[in-house]
Amino acid sequence: MKTIPPPCPEAESGQKYWRSLDHLADAPEFRQWLEREFPDGASEFSDPVSRRHFVKIMAASFALGGMGIMGTGCRRPEEKILPFGKSQEQYIHGEPQFFATAMPTRGSAVPLVAKAHDGRPVKVEGNSKHPDSNGGTDLLTQASILSLYDFDRAQRFVQNGNTVPKQAALDFLDAEAKRFQASRGDGLCFLMEQSSSPSRARLQNFLSLKYPLAKWFTYEPVDLGLGRAAASSLAGQNVSPHYRLNKAKVILTLDCDFIGSEQDTQRHIHGFASGRKVIKPTDPMNRLYSVESLYSLTGMSADHRLRVPASQVVAVAAALAAQIEPNNPSFRVLGQKFPLPASVKPAWVAECAKDLLQAKNELAECQKANADGPKENPPKPCGSLILAGYRQPAVVHVLAQALNEALGNVGTTVEIHPAGQPSDYLSNLRIALDAGQVDTLVILGANPVLTAPVDFNWAETQAKAKNVLRLGYYEDETFGKSTWHLPSAHYLESWGDARTSDGTLVPVQPLIQPLFGGMTEIEVLARIGGMDRTSAYDIVRDTFREEVRKVPAAGDFDNAWKKFLHDGILAGSAARHVPAPFLPAQVSAAINQAVATLTAPLPTKEALEVLFHRDLKLDDGRWANNGWLQELPDPITKITWDNVITLSRLTAEELGVQSKDVVEVEIGGQKIRGPVWVQPGQSDYTLGLALGYGRRFSPKDGGVGRVANNVGLYNAYAVRTSRAEYIAPGAKLRKTGETYAISTTQEHGSMEGRPIVREANKEQFEKHPGFARNMDLDAHSDYIPKDKVQTPIERATQGAEKRPEMIYKNPYKAFEQTKSQAGVNLSHLQFVSDVNQWGMSVNLTMCVGCAACVVACQSENNIPIVGKDQVARNREMHWMRIDRYYSGGADKAQKELIDDPQAVVQPMMCQHCENAPCESVCPVNATVHDEEGLNVMAYNRCVGTRYCSNNCPYKVRRFNFFDYNKHPINKLYQTPLTSTTDGEWNLKRWWKNPEATDIPEQEFELLKLVRNPEVSVRMRGVMEKCTFCVQRIESAKIKQKVKARASGAVQVPDGTFETACQQACPADAIVFGNLLDPESEIARIRKEDRDYSVLNFLDTRPRVTYLARIRNPNPKMPDYHEVALNIKEYWDQQHGAPYAEHAHPADTAQSAPAQAAPARGETKGAH
Amino acid sequence: MAEHLIHTIPSMPRVPKELERQPLVLHQRGFASITDAVAGIAEGKTPKWWWALFVPSVLLTGVCFAMIAYLISTGVGVWGLMIPVAWAWDITNFVFWIGIGHAGTLISAILFLLRQKWRTSINRAAEAMTIFAVMCAGIFPLIHVGRVWFAWWLFPLPNSNSIWPQFRSPLLWDVFAVSTYFTVSLLFWYMGLIPDLATLRDRAKTKIRQFCYGLFSLGWTGSNRHWSNYEKAYLLLAGLSTPLVLSVHSIVSFDFAVSQVPGWHTTIFPPYFVAGAIFSGFGMVLTLLIPLRSICHLEDIITTRHVELMGKVVLATGSIVGYAYGMEFFIAWYGGNPYELYAFKNRAFGPYWWAYWTMVSCNVICPQLFWFKKVRTSMVAVFIISIFVNIGMWFERFVIIVTSLHRDYLPANWAYFSPTFVDIWTFIGTFGLFLTLFLLFLRFLPLIAISEVKGVTPQADAHSPLGGAKHH
Repeated sequence: MKTIPPPCPEAESGQKYWRSLDHLADAPEFRQWLEREFPDGASEFSDPVSRRHFVKIMAASFALGGMGIMGTGCRRPEEKILPFGKSQEQYIHGEPQFFATAMPTRGSAVPLVAKAHDGRPVKVEGNSKHPDSNGGTDLLTQASILSLYDFDRAQRFVQNGNTVPKQAALDFLDAEAKRFQASRGDGLCFLMEQSSSPSRARLQNFLSLKYPLAKWFTYEPVDLGLGRAAASSLAGQNVSPHYRLNKAKVILTLDCDFIGSEQDTQRHIHGFASGRKVIKPTDPMNRLYSVESLYSLTGMSADHRLRVPASQVVAVAAALAAQIEPNNPSFRVLGQKFPLPASVKPAWVAECAKDLLQAKNELAECQKANADGPKENPPKPCGSLILAGYRQPAVVHVLAQALNEALGNVGTTVEIHPAGQPSDYLSNLRIALDAGQVDTLVILGANPVLTAPVDFNWAETQAKAKNVLRLGYYEDETFGKSTWHLPSAHYLESWGDARTSDGTLVPVQPLIQPLFGGMTEIEVLARIGGMDRTSAYDIVRDTFREEVRKVPAAGDFDNAWKKFLHDGILAGSAARHVPAPFLPAQVSAAINQAVATLTAPLPTKEALEVLFHRDLKLDDGRWANNGWLQELPDPITKITWDNVITLSRLTAEELGVQSKDVVEVEIGGQKIRGPVWVQPGQSDYTLGLALGYGRRFSPKDGGVGRVANNVGLYNAYAVRTSRAEYIAPGAKLRKTGETYAISTTQEHGSMEGRPIVREANKEQFEKHPGFARNMDLDAHSDYIPKDKVQTPIERATQGAEKRPEMIYKNPYKAFEQTKSQAGVNLSHLQFVSDVNQWGMSVNLTMCVGCAACVVACQSENNIPIVGKDQVARNREMHWMRIDRYYSGGADKAQKELIDDPQAVVQPMMCQHCENAPCESVCPVNATVHDEEGLNVMAYNRCVGTRYCSNNCPYKVRRFNFFDYNKHPINKLYQTPLTSTTDGEWNLKRWWKNPEATDIPEQEFELLKLVRNPEVSVRMRGVMEKCTFCVQRIESAKIKQKVKARASGAVQVPDGTFETACQQACPADAIVFGNLLDPESEIARIRKEDRDYSVLNFLDTRPRVTYLARIRNPNPKMPDYHEVALNIKEYWDQQHGAPYAEHAHPADTAQSAPAQAAPARGETKGAH
Repeated sequence: MAEHLIHTIPSMPRVPKELERQPLVLHQRGFASITDAVAGIAEGKTPKWWWALFVPSVLLTGVCFAMIAYLISTGVGVWGLMIPVAWAWDITNFVFWIGIGHAGTLISAILFLLRQKWRTSINRAAEAMTIFAVMCAGIFPLIHVGRVWFAWWLFPLPNSNSIWPQFRSPLLWDVFAVSTYFTVSLLFWYMGLIPDLATLRDRAKTKIRQFCYGLFSLGWTGSNRHWSNYEKAYLLLAGLSTPLVLSVHSIVSFDFAVSQVPGWHTTIFPPYFVAGAIFSGFGMVLTLLIPLRSICHLEDIITTRHVELMGKVVLATGSIVGYAYGMEFFIAWYGGNPYELYAFKNRAFGPYWWAYWTMVSCNVICPQLFWFKKVRTSMVAVFIISIFVNIGMWFERFVIIVTSLHRDYLPANWAYFSPTFVDIWTFIGTFGLFLTLFLLFLRFLPLIAISEVKGVTPQADAHSPLGGAKHH
């Protein structure tokens, strides 16, 4: 969007000039004349989302805003709209502003720094000031900015289906407050989502005192807080466990996908990856054991993965517990009730337990070594950690906590933090509703009509309340069943607060006024509570006043408040580990209860086990209307715009179905139809059903937004009951004979033995640190040296002797030579910068494939969504993709490798080749190299021959096959020659205004606001690709140049800025920087032995290199593979072991044959 | 052989029957009868068969342009191409039509320089075919770009941005190669037409015809001086065209050979493409002329022997193409590059195996039937095989382009291409355009070089009225 200069209001002081006597008299005729003079502007005044309106809102946020992180000083507390004419101090027109805020999640929050351009938020990034954050985020947070500008969000106040003014709703709330004051809250019920907001807790306390008869309920369709209940029962008080994965040497997950679908994935990934940052071959590395049913991101990262149905995880946990504490009788009892399934080798459990016990034995020594060791080294991971997932019954969570205690992990990898009183459950609200005890039901956020168990029949149950008041972000399923519906404000529009899972207090501060006048939870609560101060800002400040007293170091309130908003955290507010008593009796009690009540039938072909899972993209459905998330390929299946029923190869074969077949699944009489997807690595006889899809758009009765309308064939909630919320046994599957089209971004899952992702086990890496460079064709050739490829700059500085002469000159050098040969003095022109040469590295050991980077890139670079049909045609526009390969899957003869594959992920984006194949084939010079090593795209010059894409070996270029930014995705194929918009011929509209679009104007204006003004929006017919976030590079360079003045220190210091993907990466797997800066992280990484470039033999000389993946398997485990499966494939199909130095043809005569490598593809055990 | 003369001149040596060569014009057609036969097609009443072909052709042309209008107004996405297969039917069709355009200039220039007199009966139609085929070919690179309105940036024209095209790009070489080829072919064709246009002018009955033919025959009177200049110019243009025949398709093949896509990056491409182009060009000439000679009663001028000779060319070039297919596989294996080897294995046994084997059957196996004289001289058989050659050569380009792109280096990118109706109808539409132009040519211009054919009849040679080696 173009930056519109702000309207110039009349100066409020100084000399006043009048234009005419009418003006002086302020006659109505004169006012009319003024308006007529600017009809465009005047007409825009009534337009709720016009640019001008935004300028007003923009002004509001400055008033609210003050200066963010990049500026100095703190925000101003006023909450008024100020004209732009009085410019904000520190505000530079066109310069973005940054504000610290946070995105609340269930019971936690993601600390953020949000970027605003002229008052509209355009990008969120993690707040690295937070003690527990590296600035990384998860993919949902990255996508949340799009939901702010979602045209389908609730925009109006509704009473019984009629739009009413906001004041009417407020009056109603006030009336309710009066009414319930009299009745002391009798019949008042609150249904809320989980939240960590201290303000909400404070208001809840206040209201509980005022309305003692009111009842409070919390409902989450996917409750990620089960560990809290287990820990509380073991401690005998309300506590919450807090895990520190970075400290763990051995991690065991019991159906817990901490990387993908648990709470706070970004900090778990950060912790996990930091234990895998192997720089020297001797560096310590953590080991991950994963016991799971569905193939998850955690399973993909695991060194050992045990594939069991989710119902059998309790048996594995019991067997493990018996191994770890053989003397505990209740573990034996549990083991007898739940014996290990036959598919599980007892040795797996035994060796895993031994590894955990070994970590326990070494714990004290390890901690001592850390304490005594040099301070500059990061502490070595010590001890172990056992995590249980949300799908598992309480007993597994109790076992996990008990084993952590037994292994000495409590206090090291597990901290016990004090927690608040949990609210009541939905089932009790149902009882109250059925009993007719509910007069007014206040639903804050939750969408129970969709998500409540189907046996609760919630739509009817809810109707038993006299009034249902709902605060919701969408006019969704619950909207249609509510008497009052209030639009909820986005977190970027509202004042609030939250605690991250470590207890640190973070502010939720707005960057913009609510676009549609939405309210927040705390405002509604304050109104119902009849409080004097109902503004969210005041409430949050009042809460902070209390909180700041608990942190003595914070200083006086005013300064602490300013600092709080500036830093985005209240330093020192994090919770501390409380040594809570451990009650072994509670373990026995939980086990006894499980033995008495829990059943875990082994699934069979006739009685399948259905697993409901939180979708990696849509969560429980709350993000359904977010186009970025819908289009994001599922990190595992790579499916977009759909949910599928995943099952294993064996199950599919036995049931006679294959991927894309539509089947009917019946669970307890309820049926759904959905497409099947054969998922390697899934446990047999289980069906994975993702929640949150299969919803309908209905403007009248409420439903999902238009983006998510009819996305996915089935709605898993339709078969989910309160008896089997996550694991439903006894399901039947029937083939319907139909098939269903599914759009995936990656159709081929095998690497075909190509050395694209290179990996080694830890011990191989220790012996052969340079293994990655012994692979692919260049390992056999003289032309490309086996040591690292020199960049032209390195060649200039280090000399070319390390590198044999090429047949073809690198274009850089060739040009330099021609220059001198021509005898033309071009020395005043700098063709190759000796200041900055940019490079990127991706650490494949640390990357877990969470895809936060993909969404961050989409948000930063204005990447459009293209819809399911276009994705099916391989036209997705993501500049960055994550390739996922199953290794072992190519060998059809070895079916067990399809069932238990290893998987690797590889972020793939423009490699910025120095010797770029795309550049030499472009006929119009639209893609060229800049002097800092970037392969740049001149969109304006591109005519769209697509030759560059054909010649790109990485296929990372993206083509605008249609005007994706100007048409709704269902109208891409509509030609303007024969179509009309608003009764006007589209060709004529285009003739009158080439910028015309067939998206309704208001919606289009809203959509435009999400775009980053620093990145151009591409039209159809042009190629685009990753730019290394050139806008960030240039902005950093300019700032540095301004700062350098005459000193000449124009080199941007390392770490000054980050690319969007690097910034979003919670694992720190992506490093970007200046190769010429010897101090930079990237320069250090380039010297690592396992740094390699993909398809190096083509001599493309990419500026993106990869650090080969290291696995850390336990040689004693039955599923130990001596050679990683994809290396085995490479080995079998190509020549030579990567773990031996390759002899050059010239050397072979004298030197002995290559060092003997481990036997080809040999694996231990019968697995 | 001129049998009536043998009886009248007893000293004439008798040649054994099997050694006799067929004359190039049968049945001792006189000059006048040749003129009548050829000019008559352009002068007579429009025959019904012409309308029967012309109306559908024009409709198809309309479809073609409607599809192009849809494409340009909406976006390249209306085609089936995508990433990784960013070129598909567009460039396939381009190379297909360009290849067809090879026969005309080869016949008119190279065979002229090689003194192959049999060319005279077919060169005019073949040249016309070349020009129309190149026009059809030219459509595709133009419309395949994402922003057609900027396609002129490929030309080295001064512009306000002072940006030159990128001279390293084979696409730019294509622009020069194809436009040069088209220009020279057009000039060559028009040059050859001048004496015949004068003939038509002289025979014209209506004012309009007199004016039009008169205008384009450039005042030709048939004087010795005219003929002398004409033949010199013809020879020069033939010399100019000859390298172009080789260069155009070599340069088109550089589009692929210069890239580094496995399956494209092959040094064999230039000769292989040229041979393939001649192969497909002759295939199309046969497809057009076999029905034409019978409909227009030109069997005496385009004789069985002409067809047979063209069949031999098809056999030779088809075999070269077959050899190239084999050699590609050999080098892929011998080169030791696993990516390259995979590309070729994938061609033959991957998801597009059907396209590959269609290509091999049509291009390698079918033409081998031309080893048999019976097949070569059977008009029906030759016609059918020529159709197969056309199909096969379209598939050759499809196989090269699509199967190489759809599975290249990183398996994560692999995908399967399918065309949309727009792809299909645009291509079919170009046949409409081609036929429309060709039918107009038939109707208004002499489809056989009258003056040249007359020159190769026995009676044109005063020294050897019975015909001699030079007439064959």
